Order: sequence, then C-alpha cells, then structure tokens
Amino acid sequence: MQFWQSTGDLPKYFARAAARYDRIPGHMYAIEVEGLKKVFGNVEAVAGIDLIVSEGEMFGFLGPNGAGKSTTTKILTTLLRPTAGTARVAGFDIVTHPHEVRLSIGVALQEAGLDTLATGREMLVLLARLQGLRGGQPHKRAAAMLDLVGLSDAADRRLGTYSGGMRRRLDLAGALIHGPKLLFLDEPTTGLDPASRHAIWEEVARLNREEGITVFLTTQYLEEADRLAERVAIIDHGRIVALGSPTELKSEIAADILTLAVPEESMDVAKEALTRLPGLKEIQSDTKELTLFVTGGSSAIASAVRLLHEVDVTVGSVKLSSPTLDEVFLRATGSRLEGAEQQQAETDGKKRGRKEAS
Amino acid sequence: MSVALAPHARTYRRETEFFRATYYVAMREIRNLIRTPAAFIPSFFIPLFFFFVQSGSLQRLAERSGQVTDYKAFVLPVAILFSVSNEGAGFNMVTDIERGYFDKLMLCPANRLAVLIGTVGANFAGVLFRSLIVTAIALATGLHFATGIAGILPMVFLASLWGLVFAGIAMAVAIKTANAQAVQGSIVFLFPLLFLTTSFAPREAMTGWLKVAVGYNPITYILEGMRSFSAYGFDATRIAKGVLAVLIMAPITMGLSIAALRGRLK
Ligand SMILES: Nc1ncnc2c1ncn2[C@@H]1O[C@H](COP(=O)(O)OP(=O)(O)OP(=O)(O)O)[C@@H](O)[C@H]1O
Ligand SMILES: [Mg+2]
Repeated sequence: MQFWQSTGDLPKYFARAAARYDRIPGHMYAIEVEGLKKVFGNVEAVAGIDLIVSEGEMFGFLGPNGAGKSTTTKILTTLLRPTAGTARVAGFDIVTHPHEVRLSIGVALQEAGLDTLATGREMLVLLARLQGLRGGQPHKRAAAMLDLVGLSDAADRRLGTYSGGMRRRLDLAGALIHGPKLLFLDEPTTGLDPASRHAIWEEVARLNREEGITVFLTTQYLEEADRLAERVAIIDHGRIVALGSPTELKSEIAADILTLAVPEESMDVAKEALTRLPGLKEIQSDTKELTLFVTGGSSAIASAVRLLHEVDVTVGSVKLSSPTLDEVFLRATGSRLEGAEQQQAETDGKKRGRKEAS
Repeated sequence: MSVALAPHARTYRRETEFFRATYYVAMREIRNLIRTPAAFIPSFFIPLFFFFVQSGSLQRLAERSGQVTDYKAFVLPVAILFSVSNEGAGFNMVTDIERGYFDKLMLCPANRLAVLIGTVGANFAGVLFRSLIVTAIALATGLHFATGIAGILPMVFLASLWGLVFAGIAMAVAIKTANAQAVQGSIVFLFPLLFLTTSFAPREAMTGWLKVAVGYNPITYILEGMRSFSAYGFDATRIAKGVLAVLIMAPITMGLSIAALRGRLK
C-alpha cells in the first residue's frame, strides 16, 4: 500500500511539496510570500501561503472559485492589507513600502476596471500620467499600447461601447502602459471566447519570453496553467496544495488515470471491489464517476471491469488517460477542479455562467 | 513591439506627483460630469425652479411683513444651498468602485489622497459653476444683489465650500459601503437639517425650540453668511461665522472619507 492511500498523509505530503522551493540567499526575487493570511470576518480567504517567484518567471496560480486567488492578488498589489504574514514584491515590502511596489508593477484585476464614459485612449493617457509619464509620453505610450492589443481602431470610442474581450484587452494595455517588469493578471481570459483567449495567451507568453516580464497569473483553467506557466501553485480554500512545474506535478502522480462511470446506487459496492485492483494507488469517487490512480496501464482496464463484473456492477464507460493538472488537484483536494468539465465545453465555444465571489 | 519604457521616459517625482494626480483625477471627473448631461442639466433646473416658485409665491407676503426688503435676494441663497447639498460626488464614486475603476486608481503610485481630493475638487468646481449660472439667471430676472457684482463670487464660493461638507459625507458612505442607496440615504437623512435654518423666515420670526435648534445648526450660519452678500449687505461678523462653520465641518467630513479610504484596505 502506498503511503498516500491513507488520506491522513495527504495534507502533509502536499504541504511538503508546496514548501519545496530553493531560496537562494541574497538573490532578488520578483515575489516572496511568507505565511500570508487574510481573514474577512469568519472567512479565511487566504490561510497561510508561502511562495517565491523568480525574476522572469511565468507563475500560474490555479484554483477553483473562492479559492483565494483574487484576495492574494489584491494583497500582493497593495489593494488589501494582509491579516498576517509578509510579502515582498519587486524587492519591497507590500505593507511598509506600498508606493515602491505600485511603481514597479502592472496589474489587470479580475474585473476590468474601466471608466465607461472615457474613450480607450483617454483612459490610457490618464493612467500613464498617474504613473508618472509626462509631456508627450502619455499619448505616445497610449497609442503604442492600443496598437499592441489591437484596439487602435476603437481607440476613440467610449469604453462603454467595448465588448467584453475588448475591455479585457484594454485592461491589459493599461497594465502595461508604464512598462512594468512585473505583471499581475487575475483571470485574464475568463469569459472570453476561444479565439480571444488564445490571443491573450500568445501575447502574455510573448511578453514573458521576449521582454523578460515576470508574470503572476491566476486562473481557474487547467489548460491555461498548463500551457502558460513554468510553475504552478494550486490553491484551494486559501491553501497551496501543490506547487511545481506542470510536468513535475503530473509526473509526481506516477500513475495513469482510469475513469469509470458507475451507476450511483452501485458506487459503494464498486469502490469496495476495486480496492483489490492490482497496481491501484488511490481511488476517488463522486456521484457517478470513479477515478482510479493506477499503474499497469491498459491491463488495469480489464482487471477493473472483471472486478466490477464479479460484484454485478455494470460499467457505463471506461477511460484510461495520462494525468492532467485536474488529477493533481483531485489528488490534493479530493475533488475535481470546479468547472473542469464545463471548461472543456467552453473551450468548445459555449458560454458558462460564472459563480461570483462576493 | 516592445512594451519596455526607455529608462529616462519616466521620472517619478514624488513631491509634484500629488498635485499632478489631483489635477488629472479632477479633470477626468469634470469631463465625466459634462458627459452625463442627463444628470448635469437637471441640476440647473432644480435650484432655478425652487427660486422662481418660492419667490413668486411668497414675495408679496414676505415683503409686506416688513422683515425682509427683497425676498428674492433672501431666497436665492436657499436655492443654491439646497442644490449644493447633494450626493453627486458619492454617486460617482460608487459607480467607480462598482466598476473596479476606483481600484485602478488606487493601484497608481500617486498618493491615494489625490484621488479623493481630485474628486472633491471637481465636484467643487461643478457646484461653483452651477451656482454662478443660477445667480446670473436670478439677476437677469430682476434680483437686486445687495453687495453688487463683486459680492456674487464670494457668496457662491461660500456655498460651494459648504458643498464640500456634504461631499465628504457622501464620499465616506460611498467608500465604506459602495452602495448608491446608502449614499442617497445618508443625504436624505441630513436633508431636514436644511430646513432647520432661517431658510424660509428670519430667526427673529421664530419661537421656542425651533429658534434654539436653528441657532445650533451650522447651515444657518452658512445661509446667513451668504445672505450678507445677497440681501443684507456686507456684514463681516455674519460672513466670518459662515466661514467658521465650514472650517469646522469640512475637516470633519473630509476626515470621515479619509478614514473610510484607509478602512477599505483592511
Ligand atoms: N471583501 C470581502 N469580504 C468578505 N469575504 C471576502 C471578501 N473578498 C473575498 N472574500 C471571500 O474570500 C474567499 C476567497 O475569495 P477570492 O475572491 O479571493 O477567490 P477567487 O479564488 O478569486 O475566486 P474566483 O475564481 O471566483 O474569482 C471567498 O470565500 C470570498 O467569498
Ligand atoms: Mg477571483
């Protein structure tokens, strides 16, 4: 039996994984977070997180609704004060030197904060001025950033007339207007259609690759974290439950994923029977699906079906796959990343209503 | 295309940045004021309507009583004062907070107070402009202004300063609650105070508790200060009392909005 099969060990295992970073003394980090906590009334939105982001890194912060992504982002960008813990951004303490932090960062929050009565250009010019650009610079920069995000044609239209995707892009332009070396993006592609999403991905990847901009990006999309981030922190209920490069995290699972659709009423029987499966590392169930972490690949399919046949459980469908970040999340938290299935649907072009954290 | 900025392109001078930020925030606020004519234009009609209806209906009666000589000059400050005591600054701030634009401003390196002062400043300018127009129209329709043309600006200025007191409350509630109803509620709650003054009759004509309450209401002193310019003729004591009322009240309500701003970060 593997040690993580007893669920008691799971939190410890992932806590160790989460703390696994190499802090080099004297090295300048873009972001350093220690024991960060934020409590709202009786809600512990951020429950003590530690992480380090190196300069030039593309860091993903992946978690379901209400995990604490936005709260963390707001603390790191000086919009909220932490309840406990410390953080340094661009080398400055966020509580004692918020001014220096703000001078160093570009931020696009989850809600694109736009002045609907202003035109795109007017808003960017104002932001440039408030960022300390003078003379002809604000206009020059505004034009350049509008061009960068492909909004030159709409530049002189009021923001109230922009579509959701255009608003997101303008927000990104605003975050870049003063040429920051460190960029915070809170769910930059939520609510966008696949084409706009890919456009943002490409641009963010380019900024990181070609211009060396450090990116701290939150997302609830596995695919986004997987594609973009060099390292991912998976956050759930205010805690980091896994941390590492996507490849690393997936290989840590060291197993294939066998998914079996089983009638709800036979779930318990099925689960019991499958514990005898050779090569089983872990088993997770929800109402209509069993997820098995197995070694032995395709031979496990036959064995599993046989075991279920012996206890008279009919199997709806069987799927064997390599682990994704969803399984990493499942292993760490016992539940699938909320909306993982819908996300697939959304990627296929459908829209999904998002639960608002309020 | 590169987003990197040439090293010399951005010279952030903290000392001057506060004033620049205040100015740009104020200009944006004024621009938005002008771009919402549906809210801006009615704000002219309400004081004018009040002025004409009030003076039209009561002028004869009041002047015959012998206690006021020119009822129009007596009632104009009331019309202006009512119109400056509004929640406009708070409403706009609620909208900004709801849209996330306020956070955007808070993310800028400029001192956050600049956002508050810029908003208040723009509101002040708007109120001043509106009050001047209202006074000009009143003059054009036969009002006799006691201290002449030179007295108009100081009177309007005093009224607009009082507008800051209300703006401070509206903004404090706006920042604290981010709720338009709450902002409106706070002003509605204070509105009766405007009546507990000498707005419709001189203090000498009052009796009992009303007379006492009116004496404790700072708005009475603003109103009387304004009337020194429009109706009574220059009266340094009255004006000083009005200015004093603002000097006491404005820091209190502005302090409330600063406290609300601080609290927002918690
Ligand atoms: N100002 C607030 N007051 C009270 N509770 C809050 C506040 N902000 C956030 N929370 C709570 O803190 C928790 C974390 O919220 P947060 O917005 O950080 O989540 P998130 O990971 O960004 O979620 P989403 O994907 O929905 O944006 C939630 O339970 C939320 O309700
Ligand atoms: Mg969020």
